[in-house]
Amino acid sequence: MSKGHNGYYKRVSGDAVEYEVFARKTREEPLRQVGSVVAPDDDLAMAYARATYDEERWCEMAIVRKEHVIELWQPGEP
Amino acid sequence: MSLSDLVLSLADNKQMLGLRYAEWATRAPSLEADIAAAAMGLDDLGHSRVLYGCLEPLGADPRGPERESDPAAIRNLAYFDEPWTEWSQFVAANAILDTAFTVVIEACVNGSVEVLRQRLRKMLMEERYHFLHGRSWLRSGIDVEPLHRAWREAIEWFGPPDGETTQLYKDGRLSMGPAELHERLEERLESRAPQMDIDWKHWDAIRRRAKPGAIDERTFSMLRGLEENRFAQAKEA
Repeated sequence: MSKGHNGYYKRVSGDAVEYEVFARKTREEPLRQVGSVVAPDDDLAMAYARATYDEERWCEMAIVRKEHVIELWQPGEP
Repeated sequence: MSLSDLVLSLADNKQMLGLRYAEWATRAPSLEADIAAAAMGLDDLGHSRVLYGCLEPLGADPRGPERESDPAAIRNLAYFDEPWTEWSQFVAANAILDTAFTVVIEACVNGSVEVLRQRLRKMLMEERYHFLHGRSWLRSGIDVEPLHRAWREAIEWFGPPDGETTQLYKDGRLSMGPAELHERLEERLESRAPQMDIDWKHWDAIRRRAKPGAIDERTFSMLRGLEENRFAQAKEA
């Protein structure tokens, strides 16, 4: 049961994981990051991504766990 | 009971499911869940619109004038009679009932009736995300009472083993009958329905439910667009 101390369900059940959301409108354009969602598992992250970023008729959408992104460098680094 | 009756039941239930989802668009446990509730509500209202549009091509439209005055003429499950007061009720409907409706849509899409094969296919793609949402929340654990109630109403909605839904299956118009729909629902949810005895003698073949009752007066007014008038009068005063 995922109810918090006040008797309400926690805002995110289980361990919250951040996912980056990528999408594109046509086959010709590259996938680009359109936002992120927080969810306890992949199933819910897919449902949330689809519901949150449905303002366009995307031909492709994908999500990636943020922890799985390998950064080579960040802004401000040489 | 004809195929049109089944499609009307599906349309009415999808409309009520969409409406109940939408009621939770600002009350779900997280902002993401709020947005998902709104999006799923919009999907199901859209699905009901498509399903109502299938009635005329199917032949006999079972909708009569009584739908404007009698809330019991709306063919919704008892689960939707009253607004939900607990998130568990939302999750049980999302996981069990929404999936039950989807497996019947599958049976229509894989059946022999061309208008249903063509027009309902897209719903299956959209329903995938409802299923993922419901399954994930279900796994996080919810109260047993709404869960058992949703299972019971889903199995009742599929119909009795020797009823007309079975005949639609035998005729090929549906690709699954009640037993196959039950099995498919369990397979999709990766769980078994709780043990239950269903008294089919008191089952209403038109409304596809055993429990008496109807949607509350306010919801019935909303369905007919009358709630809007209430606000219009307040503005004039």
